[in-house]
Parts: sequence; C-alpha cells; structure tokens
Amino acid sequence: MTASVCCLSNNTPGRLARCALSVFLAGLLGLIGTRAQAWPEGVQLHGFASQGFLLTSDNNFFGGTDGDGSFGFGELGLNGSWQISPDLLLSLQVLSRRAGETDDGDLRMDYGFLDYSFISDADNRWGIRLGRIMNPLGLYNDTRDVAFTRPSILLPQSIYFDVNRNLALSADGVQLYGERRTDWGDFFLQLGYVYPRVDDPDFERSIFFGDALGDLESDPSWIGRLTYERDGGRFRFMVSGAQVNVGYDPGGPIDPFQAGKFRFQPLILSAQYNAERWSFTTEYAPRPVSLYSFGPFLPDTDFTGQSYYLQGTYKFAPRWEGLLRYDVLYWDTDDRDGSKFAELTGLPAHSRFSKDWTVGLRWDVTPSFMLRAEFHYIDGTGWLSELENPGRLDTDRYWNLFAILASFRF
Amino acid sequence: MQYRVGVFALVLLLSLFSVVALPQDPDPLVVITSPDVVQQSLSPNALRAIFGMRLRSWPSGKPIQVFVLNETNPVHIQFCKQVLNIFPHQLRSSWDRQVYSGTGQAPREVESMEEMLAQVAATPGAIGYSERSRIDDSVRVLPIQ
Repeated sequence: MTASVCCLSNNTPGRLARCALSVFLAGLLGLIGTRAQAWPEGVQLHGFASQGFLLTSDNNFFGGTDGDGSFGFGELGLNGSWQISPDLLLSLQVLSRRAGETDDGDLRMDYGFLDYSFISDADNRWGIRLGRIMNPLGLYNDTRDVAFTRPSILLPQSIYFDVNRNLALSADGVQLYGERRTDWGDFFLQLGYVYPRVDDPDFERSIFFGDALGDLESDPSWIGRLTYERDGGRFRFMVSGAQVNVGYDPGGPIDPFQAGKFRFQPLILSAQYNAERWSFTTEYAPRPVSLYSFGPFLPDTDFTGQSYYLQGTYKFAPRWEGLLRYDVLYWDTDDRDGSKFAELTGLPAHSRFSKDWTVGLRWDVTPSFMLRAEFHYIDGTGWLSELENPGRLDTDRYWNLFAILASFRF
Repeated sequence: MQYRVGVFALVLLLSLFSVVALPQDPDPLVVITSPDVVQQSLSPNALRAIFGMRLRSWPSGKPIQVFVLNETNPVHIQFCKQVLNIFPHQLRSSWDRQVYSGTGQAPREVESMEEMLAQVAATPGAIGYSERSRIDDSVRVLPIQ
C-alpha cells in the first residue's frame, strides 16, 4: 500500500526515489516478517529513533518553539545493507524527519548505493560507489541523522546548517574512494562527481529571500575529502571541499529572474583529538558563494562566509558526558556585523551572523538508549530558517535555546 | 639483633602483602580464528583494519566474519586497549560511521565468552578473541606480529 501511495505522488523530482524507497520498504517488511535464518547471508538491519523537545526564549527553531516549546523535532530511520561478497556491498537508508516548518516527516531516501571495491588487501582498499551517496563533508555530515553519532542534539549550525540539510546531506552520482593503512597512520580519500539535492523547502528562500516562480535544478558538482587518522582515530585530521552548482529554471515570461546560477564552494578543515575520557574538536570553513546571470532584479553577487567552532567533551563518569562549545558563523566576511546588509535591504543586521555558546549533557542509559539535554546562548540569527522566521522581522538578536532529546538505536 | 629480626619480619610481611595485594596477572588475551583460516600471523595494522570492519576478506578471498563481545564487557575493553591499542568508544564510533553512512557493516555481537568460542569455531572465516586459558582445539590461535 505504501508503494502505490508514494508512486502516485505528484512530486516529480523525488518520484523515482520514492518508488525505489517503497519497494525497498515493502521488501524490508517482508524480510522482517520471515524468520532471521531465512535472510540472505550478509544482510544487516539497523535503525534509530529520536524525539526532541525544544524551547526558545525568542525566535523559532524546529517548530513554534518561542515561549511554549515544541515537540516538532523527531527522527526515524531504518537502514539495510547486504554484503553480497567481500567486494560488493548494497546499502540503503530511509528517513522520516520532522523539524518544524523545515521538514515534514515525509519518507525520504538518505542514501542508496552499490559499493564495489576493486583492490583490497591488508594495506589498501580502493573502490567506487554508485547511487545516492552521503556527502563526505567534515567530521559529522556522513551520519548527521543519527543522534548517537552527533556530539550534541544540534550539530554546530555554522557548518552543519539544518535549514539546507538535504543539499548538504547526500547527492546522486559516483564516488571513488581509497584507503591506505601505514605504520604511521591511515589515509582515506573520497572524491565524488554528483548532482546535488535541491529539495529543501528553505533552499529557494535562502537564495531569493522569498518564493520564486521557477524551479531550482541541480547541476554537476564536485565533492571530496582527505582524512588522516592516527592510532585508530586518536588523532583525526580532514580536508573537505566541494563545488556545488545549482541552476534556475525561470517560471515563464512573468518571472523577474533569468536562468541564473548558484555556486557554493565550501572548504572545511577539521581536527579532533580523542583521549580515553575527553576529546577536543575544531573545524574551520571558509564558504565562498556566488550568484550570477539572474538578470537585473538579482545582480551578480559574490561573498565569502566563514564558520568555525571549538568543542570539548568530557566523560566525567561511566556513561555520562559533558560538552562545551563555541560556534561562530558569518555570512559575509566583508560585513561581519551585517550593517551593510541592513542598510541595503532593511532586514535585521543580526541575520548575518550567529555566535552560539553551548553546554550539553549526555547520558547513555544503555548502549542503545540515550538521553540528552543542552542549553544554547546565542547572539545573532544567522542560521535561523526563513520559513519559520519570515524576513527575520520578528526576530531578536540575543536568544536562548533549551533542548532535550531521547534516542534509541539498534 | 631483636631489632633486625623485627625489620626482617616486617619486610617479609610487607612483601607477602604486596604479593597478595597485587592484582592477579590477567589471563592474556589471544586472537582466535575458525579452524579453516590458514593465515599464519597478522600484522597489528591488519588486525585493527579487520576489527575496524575495513578489511573484509582473508588473503585467500574468503570473507572475514568478525565476532565481538558487548562494548561494556571487561574482556572487550581489555582487548581494545591492550591488543588493538585503541579505546572501545573509538572502535564503536568507527563502526557507527560506516553503518549509518552505508559504507560498511557492524561486527557480530555475542553474549558471552562461551558463545564467542562456539561461534568462532563453527563459522567459516571467523575471527574473535579469548582468554588463553579458555580455548581448546576447536579454534586456532592467530599470532600478531
């Protein structure tokens, strides 16, 4: 039944993906129905479910959180993988995510790809992946939906924006990967040629500061990451980069905008040190953005954003962890306080930056059940959703966010 | 003289106590495989790649089946720290990163040392670990060098 409903959906861009998804889900349910012994050798199923409660002193984040708080944030995911042979792996993850106005809980495919490794020995592994692949960006993007793998309820928003999450999360295409293990550390390389996902409800608004008549189209893009790990992950260093290209298909003769291009070229430098009880993490990202050929109503623009955070965690008792983080975002390094932007547009200057102090607490009740709480003190509204805070007109510069989350996985 | 005897007795007593108070030398952990695995030894890097779920086949091409105890089990913790030389939470993070990005699978978890031995003995291509005193002829010991 799921399959027929999804395939009849009018939402063309995601239609094929949805059909594949439904077939997979139906197959999965069939598998769950049969006895475990009947599964093909090498099949694994994993899943996760999270429910959050968010409360803000001002401004909305993941729902109507201002004042009363909201249970509008939840994640439910299921993944299956089939190691067909040591060299061939098939993987798929489906997700339903609710995040206020920015995500409605519709089923989506996070990733679904075939992984073939053509060289594999004690020191090397090389291969390709084909399909929808998680974007290798920074330390946390690959598994950002899974609360257990995040350092906090909300990832540092300066780098891991939740408003344009699908764009950042995964993309359709091909990826070459390599691993090299040496006595002085392990190297990992991933290089992808992909079509980005442009299905975020907030994405169009973040380009045009409102609705547009036409549609965004994904253009060929590049993404890559080089990782160096020492002592099995005690030290981790990464350089990630991407050139994300998105085009615009104007909505007929009355559309004020022409067939323009949006280009986003983030570079992320990451470093992490993991000791037995504490860990220290930092990431820094210059983010050049350019918009061009949209015509007279949206002149060509170029600006460079900047993001960084410093984060420490400490396991002060078995199964308990504390977190402290300072996270900074500037949309335009030539206008850090947003004053030029405010003069030009009449919109609030504080929508052009965010400085977020976070303290958090994690309690792993069992290895598969976790409770979390965190408090944010934030100066600026730079990473708020346009959908939830239209025009930023009703927003306050200084605000607090409190969140709790329960999460289960298997 | 009496004084020296006293000191001697004290030293004897102290040394006796220190022997008693010392933690029992733990049963050393060894890497075990199923009898069909013909590999003679493994390098520490290859061992870490196998338990990190990145190296998936033996040189013969046969798939590797990795067995571990629960991450809270003291034997698992000791194996991670002393044999693999990484912290258990690092190993778990490395599995999670692969499982939830679709790029790899998790090892098979067993409930007890008895189950570990039984599963490793019965599964072709299996690898696991055990206290040396517990193993018998049903599994092979794989030296790490």
